[in-house]
Amino acid sequence: MSNSDKHKVTATLAAATCSLLGSSLPDPVHAQEDSTWDFNTALLYYGEDNDRVQDLSVSVLAKRTLVDDRLLTLGITLDGLTGASPNGALPQSFAQTFTQPSGKRIYSIDASQLPIDDTFKDTRLALTANWQQPLGRLYQFNVGASASREYDYTHLGINGKIARDFNKRNTTLSAGVAIAHDSIEPVGGAPEGLSPMLNVGDLSNRNKSDTKDIFDVVVGVSQVISRDLIVQLNYSYSDSSGYLSDPYKLLSVVDGVSGDAIPRPQLPGIEGPSHIFLYEQRPEDRVKHSLYAQAKHYRNGKVLDASYRYMTDDWEIDSHTIDLRYRWPIRGTHYIEPHLRFYSQSAAEFYNLSLVDGDPLPDYVSADYRLGDFDAITAGLKYGWQTGGGKDMSVRLELYRQSGKVAASQLIGNQVNQDNYPDLNAIILQIGYQFGK
Amino acid sequence: MMMSKVKPLFVASLVVWLGCGCSSMGVEPWERDILAKDEMQLSGDPIEAATDDHIYFSKEASSGGRGFGGGGCGCN
Amino acid sequence: MHLGNRTLCLLLIAGMLASIPGAVHSADDALHLENYRGQVVILDFWASWCVPCRRSFPWLNSMHAKYAEEGLVIIGVNLDHNKADAETFLSEIPADFQIYYDDDKELARQFDVIAMPSSYIIGRDGEQIKRHLGFKVRLQPEYEAAIIEALKKRGT
Repeated sequence: MSNSDKHKVTATLAAATCSLLGSSLPDPVHAQEDSTWDFNTALLYYGEDNDRVQDLSVSVLAKRTLVDDRLLTLGITLDGLTGASPNGALPQSFAQTFTQPSGKRIYSIDASQLPIDDTFKDTRLALTANWQQPLGRLYQFNVGASASREYDYTHLGINGKIARDFNKRNTTLSAGVAIAHDSIEPVGGAPEGLSPMLNVGDLSNRNKSDTKDIFDVVVGVSQVISRDLIVQLNYSYSDSSGYLSDPYKLLSVVDGVSGDAIPRPQLPGIEGPSHIFLYEQRPEDRVKHSLYAQAKHYRNGKVLDASYRYMTDDWEIDSHTIDLRYRWPIRGTHYIEPHLRFYSQSAAEFYNLSLVDGDPLPDYVSADYRLGDFDAITAGLKYGWQTGGGKDMSVRLELYRQSGKVAASQLIGNQVNQDNYPDLNAIILQIGYQFGK
Repeated sequence: MMMSKVKPLFVASLVVWLGCGCSSMGVEPWERDILAKDEMQLSGDPIEAATDDHIYFSKEASSGGRGFGGGGCGCN
Repeated sequence: MHLGNRTLCLLLIAGMLASIPGAVHSADDALHLENYRGQVVILDFWASWCVPCRRSFPWLNSMHAKYAEEGLVIIGVNLDHNKADAETFLSEIPADFQIYYDDDKELARQFDVIAMPSSYIIGRDGEQIKRHLGFKVRLQPEYEAAIIEALKKRGT
């Protein structure tokens, strides 16, 4: 009789004996893993230098796992934005005055200062919901919705995704679709593109609101290469149409020789812009293509996450993003994770620093620094650990620097004396706390 | 133009991937212990990813393109 | 010597529980399934990092409790890379059934395991009757029905 037979016999005898003797074996446990809640929370501070944008936000992500691999995810984010944003006009060797987006009053910018509009105090609420479940053994599908609201912007979107495993689940093919409808109700109304900035109280060139529709498709494949290496490759297509301009951005109209802003006749008793500024105008459509590749590699407890994304669109913007993270466990549940991100983009075809007085107006033009030529680098460090109660906590601090590249050929006359595209420096500080049953 | 190269490039990669030895690459179902770890998931920390996406979307001209499924323990 | 009923029962249970973790086999002490001819064997392939495996253990324990008398033998075949991980799992979620450590993964290959967890029902005649890939709570009645079906057949 083998060992196993002896055990079997013993077990049977015990069971039989116990039931005969009136006492019973411990009740068979029928309770499976109960549905659980898992919460992920974060507090974020984002701050730029030179009185520019500052943002404080709090996020909560609640995940409810239900039996048989079904998952409900609900997210909420609340953030408060203050500070100033460049309005697109160029600094001059003299002071300038602009009308606020509301049209109610003017604001002044000193000589050699980057014109920034500090009338933004905004609160945004964003909600997301997602349902995930298997379909059969090898398929998984997701459906989700997103919505956000701030005083001048509303977003509504739905998304869906399906994934299928192949090769003993070593390969996964995924496809997802998202559609969104956004509406913009800028303060004072959306200005007609290429129309001039008007005096205080004059909103004649404004439309109350406008909309934007976005359609996104992503297809991807992930592949397990070895026990400690996994890679993925995604292709995305995105089509936005509608009002794509920034209602608060404008351009300086300058003299073709001196490069100085053209003064605007001032009427007595009426406040208004000191120089001629025209509101920007972007195309009504934008098609983007992206290719994204990522690899995650494990070695002796350390994880390297490396990714590259290439983006190109029909505005002629090309960008490259390289993102590197290295998670390094130290002592128990503690770990550090240094992070490095390199970003480079080429300017939109219609991007221009300023408009020359007397030249024919282009169809599309924008001086928004976010559509220009620039490089950016992020360097950060995250520190994480598990508290005594088994909850995950983390703190991350990152520095972001964006450096514009302005070709000398783009500068006219006196513009060379000014810092037309100042660097953007920002701090990101985030504290995360995860808990659940 | 750059744009027209992206789609064929991706499709070509996919064909090579599924057609050739790549599709027989991988591990046995019982060798997913490391891939099952939280830190080896492709999606990473969800809030951090969403926060970064939002920041960079506000400051740059590119957005998204990222993350999806696959990997993990491959269970059930 | 007259042992109290309860004491006898406890002794038997202790003996049974003590022996089960001891029913481990090293690679050179391979699992000989032919020894189980006449009984219905469930070979359940599992690993400590597999969440559905965690869910399946209480259910396997209840199957063991219900049908062991009728000739059901459950063998949990562990496929962990490190035995220590399996032992940690078992200390949190004990198994009332046998555990076999398939160190060289030979049994897994022999049964062509393509999913985690996988369970194979082997009839009293030694032939494989059914294979279940994965573990779904809502399919428990189906899994149990397959066991009852297999137990009904009298092997030679």
